[in-house]
Amino acid sequence: MDESRPIFVQLAEQIENDIIAGVMAEETQVPSINEFAAFYRINPATALKGVTTLVDEGALYKKRGIGMFVAEGAQARLKTKRRDKFSAEFVTPLLTEAAKLGITAEQLADMIRKAGK
Amino acid sequence: MTTITATVRPPASAGGRILNIVKLHLTNPWTTIILPWMILGFILIANIAIWAIILGNTAPADRADVEEGLGYSGASTYIFVYMMVVAVQAIAVTFPFALGYGVTRRDYYLGTALTFVALAVMFSVGLTVLAAIEEATGGWGLGGRMFTTFYWGDTWPQRLFIFFAAFMFFFSVGIAAAAIWVRWKANGLIAFFVGLAIIVLGGAALLTVTQGWIAFGTFFAEAGFVGSFAWSLVISAIALVAGFFVLRRATPKS
Amino acid sequence: MTAVIEDKVIEVTGLTKRFGSVTAVDDATFSVERNKIYGLLGRNGAGKTTLMQLLTGQDFATSGSIQVFGQSPVENASVLQRVSFIKESQRYPDDFRAKHVFKSAPWFFSNWDEDFAQQLIADFRLPLNRRIKKMSRGQVSAIGVIVGLASRAPLTFFDEPYLGLDAVARQTFYDRLLADYAEHPRTVVLSTHLIDEVSNLLEHVLVIDEGRIIINEDAESLRGSATNLVGTAAAVDAFVGPREVLHRDAIGGLVSVTVLGLTAGERKDASAAGLELAPVSLQQLIIRRTNTSEKEFEVSA
Repeated sequence: MDESRPIFVQLAEQIENDIIAGVMAEETQVPSINEFAAFYRINPATALKGVTTLVDEGALYKKRGIGMFVAEGAQARLKTKRRDKFSAEFVTPLLTEAAKLGITAEQLADMIRKAGK
Repeated sequence: MTTITATVRPPASAGGRILNIVKLHLTNPWTTIILPWMILGFILIANIAIWAIILGNTAPADRADVEEGLGYSGASTYIFVYMMVVAVQAIAVTFPFALGYGVTRRDYYLGTALTFVALAVMFSVGLTVLAAIEEATGGWGLGGRMFTTFYWGDTWPQRLFIFFAAFMFFFSVGIAAAAIWVRWKANGLIAFFVGLAIIVLGGAALLTVTQGWIAFGTFFAEAGFVGSFAWSLVISAIALVAGFFVLRRATPKS
Repeated sequence: MTAVIEDKVIEVTGLTKRFGSVTAVDDATFSVERNKIYGLLGRNGAGKTTLMQLLTGQDFATSGSIQVFGQSPVENASVLQRVSFIKESQRYPDDFRAKHVFKSAPWFFSNWDEDFAQQLIADFRLPLNRRIKKMSRGQVSAIGVIVGLASRAPLTFFDEPYLGLDAVARQTFYDRLLADYAEHPRTVVLSTHLIDEVSNLLEHVLVIDEGRIIINEDAESLRGSATNLVGTAAAVDAFVGPREVLHRDAIGGLVSVTVLGLTAGERKDASAAGLELAPVSLQQLIIRRTNTSEKEFEVSA
């Protein structure tokens, strides 16, 4: 947890990461609010906010009396959402930094191809 | 958030709260009960030893005189002053502590007063029993008088009453002084004693000027020891009431 | 008797406390909502302890009103029985050993959980039989912390009771507090000047400076409400423009300013302008904002 963004946002992202990576499989239960709070050492209300964010997005759903579960299709939906943000979050800063260093777009493409091997 | 409802006891009633203060004062019974009795016992034993030594070194002819002298031992007064100090210390340290436990000043004062009344009863009963033993053994076999000194009364009901009144007097003054200290600290205590000295000296001066010493003395002579100690209860009551009003606005300055 | 559960467990209006010529609490108005963890933050001597003493009836207000559980707390047993106030400076009777505290505390707190207390005593490795006079400061603090936690009082105040604890023990305290609060919700008010340590535990933040409440906000919105911008003086000033600057540092040709409230779009613009964005911790933010008020006070004086 860093200081740059609200904690509940960071928690939501962390859970999203786990869903996308398949660590939290669909239709399986995720840790309770209190468990998240204890693990990340944050206020339970904050943990609740983070989880609620994902519930609102449809990535998690609540089974009354049992707990929170990963929704069906959540992995695919989150990947799509992340892809949309990928350009703004990663590509633009990459280009900005490259421009600072005088690296052309072609050189950049080369670098990427080489690194990807 | 999941909540677990634990079994919760209902909060204590007014009587229960006051009883809690009594329990608090007696949590560590060493200071208020065990140690005072030990000291009393030690003083008694020391006195017996001294009497034995004195009598052992007295010629039989002088024995009667010496025995009369032994009858004026003031050794038992120590326990009263000691308990007064216990009262002062008890309040000075437990007051801020009790406030930390969420106790109101009123409950604290009532509980504390009750505690010391109970202690006064306990100690007076104990001293009366010791006095009876002293009488029965003819002064511990040595003609010594620690608990049956003349000013403690002649019969056991008298002694019981006088011991109780004496304890209440020292406790009340101790409690009032402690309340003053808690509220106004050292300055307050100094002011109190200065004021007290002024009143006493002023009273003495007044008596001297009006030549009232004789009347003063006669009053107490006629009242006798029982009567005089009964009057002291009035002072004790005043001290206790005054102490309450002083403590009502005290804060646990730490 | 049906108990009306107050949403606001504490309501304070125009509260002022003066000690002679010193105003320790200056016209404070705020409320504390049920079952949240509040941080009462401020520098040493800002008025945190005085405020808590007023709220718990241990000291008397000069003016203003206090309502705890809907009533005045002063000399009010029905209110005070639901409150626990653990002070850093709590002194214990001279002849007490640790075990005496744990023997007497349950009498005064009807929610006391003995199992929890025993677990905490083990966690903090407290020597029960030792005289409190002979204990280290950390151990004495631990006693207070254990009483505060195990009492499970509906309104629990902690006035920097963990100052004597080392970092490991403090973390134990935070963890136990969080875990127990999650299982047994209650209203907690935590005062400290170690802001960053407790920052993530707090739901709501009250900052007091020289007796005045200068911040009263939800913790999440406070966190991340300020940003540090670093760059050349020209670039920084150009971007900042008329915006309020909380703080400015300069070294060589570099300038670092702290500004409030940048939107996502503005953050992108700042990046594009070649400025580096750095986060501002809650502690830094509060330090900056209390310095601001101090400066203003100096100017107006």
